[in-house]
Amino acid sequence: MQNNDELKLVLLIASIAMLMMAFFVIMFVMYYQKKRFEEEKRISDIEKNYNRLLLDTALNSEETERRRIAQDLHDDIGTMLSLTKLSLNQLSKLVGSSGDEKEESIMKKSQSLVEETILHVRRITRDLVPTTLERFGLMEAIEEFIHKLEEDNNLVIAFQSNTEEFPRQGQKLELTLYRIMQELVNNAIKHASCTKIDIVLEIDEEMIGLRVTDNGVGFDPEKIKESNLAGLGLLGIESRLAIVNGTVQYEQPAKGGSSAIARIPVNPASGNKPEPLHPFRRERVNI
Amino acid sequence: MVEIYISYILRQPVVSAPVFLTLLPIFLIWRRKAYHDQVFLVLFGYLILKFGIDFIMFDWASQKKNTVLLYNLNSPLRYVLTSWMFYYKLDFKIQRVWLVISWPAFVIFALWDIIRTNPSIWDLHNHSMVLYSTTVESLLMLLWILLYFYNTIRTLKIPNLLTYPFFWICSGLLIYYSSFLFIAPVLHYASKWEQYMDIGFLYYVPYIFESVSLILFAIGISQFSDRSYAK
Repeated sequence: MQNNDELKLVLLIASIAMLMMAFFVIMFVMYYQKKRFEEEKRISDIEKNYNRLLLDTALNSEETERRRIAQDLHDDIGTMLSLTKLSLNQLSKLVGSSGDEKEESIMKKSQSLVEETILHVRRITRDLVPTTLERFGLMEAIEEFIHKLEEDNNLVIAFQSNTEEFPRQGQKLELTLYRIMQELVNNAIKHASCTKIDIVLEIDEEMIGLRVTDNGVGFDPEKIKESNLAGLGLLGIESRLAIVNGTVQYEQPAKGGSSAIARIPVNPASGNKPEPLHPFRRERVNI
Repeated sequence: MVEIYISYILRQPVVSAPVFLTLLPIFLIWRRKAYHDQVFLVLFGYLILKFGIDFIMFDWASQKKNTVLLYNLNSPLRYVLTSWMFYYKLDFKIQRVWLVISWPAFVIFALWDIIRTNPSIWDLHNHSMVLYSTTVESLLMLLWILLYFYNTIRTLKIPNLLTYPFFWICSGLLIYYSSFLFIAPVLHYASKWEQYMDIGFLYYVPYIFESVSLILFAIGISQFSDRSYAK
């Protein structure tokens, strides 16, 4: 009888121990799984932030380099060309007094070439650094960009905004929106065979929206991203947006063409305005 | 007949509960169409078979007949069908090969154990419960369950275990076999018609945890959805 009671006690203890072990195993699996997932998420976040930082640095370097090249063009080549123009003007007076028509014609051609080169250098400088963007803001920069494009192309580009005066945003945000607009418009001109482009800039309390719509052949963004080369422009847009927590969405309107909508959280400009490109200063620009 | 059944249920509610609780996961598998997934199809088959055998045992028990023969024969069947689910869940081929090898090996062992324990096999009155095979079954099942859990935490394929049906099935099996492991060999001496050993409350422990495991099965199946599960 006593043996039977002892056996029951032993069995009870063993069974309780086994059940506790089973519960422990289940809890451990759940806890460990949760911890591992949290750890994986943390590592993934670190990787994401690191990639974002790398991208940010690369884009900053690109802008700094653009600015340096623009400064060099203006300070060195621009000055040299101005001096050349001045010298040619003086030489032109001397040639004019000699009365040789052939010499005069060559002189005028040289002067015209130098003036044309000066204009080209100015255009390249402005393309490299959107000075209007820095000085007057996004709306004026887009209007200037459109104006220049319409001069060079047989295109109708319409621009509208939901506000008369677009509030100034952080420099990085304005530059991102400007570069995205440039990329989307250039893509439409290069690939869409379009005749009309609509640019819409909207702002509300939280978000800024930029919509670029064309009436061209349209495209499937997923297919384009899959083909490595063609998708670089779209990937560039996504990369730029990732830095400012923005998103982009591509649509194919029913009437044809394509539409891209970039949305970025509002980030009003702080008091620190960057120095404008003119007059030039050889300083590193923090974008 | 119904009066006899009711009388037995009232006398042995703990023993009777798992028989009818088996209907709950069966109903849920049917209701949620979980049988479209191979794992749940096997579970569905096992639970239907289990209910059939359990009900016959319930019927015999209510008529005061020895049900141990059915229990003994149920053991290899239960092992093959419950471990079959792991065939679809284990990641490595070698593990699946060992699982498949274990089926005929265990069936032969269980049949040998039944014959060894009961030399006069058709003497139903004096039929005894097997001595080793239920313990071996518990150990093997615990091995496959722990192997599956190990694979789960190693590969991190399941984002949320609480909403993953097979995790609940495994938890139910783990709790049932853990409670059964040490009691199983003692039942050989306790589940006899004559000269049995009284183990008191412990006799009911496997039935209690069988009910618990069936409830856990039901919780798991109720989480089943084709979209999130059938991967």
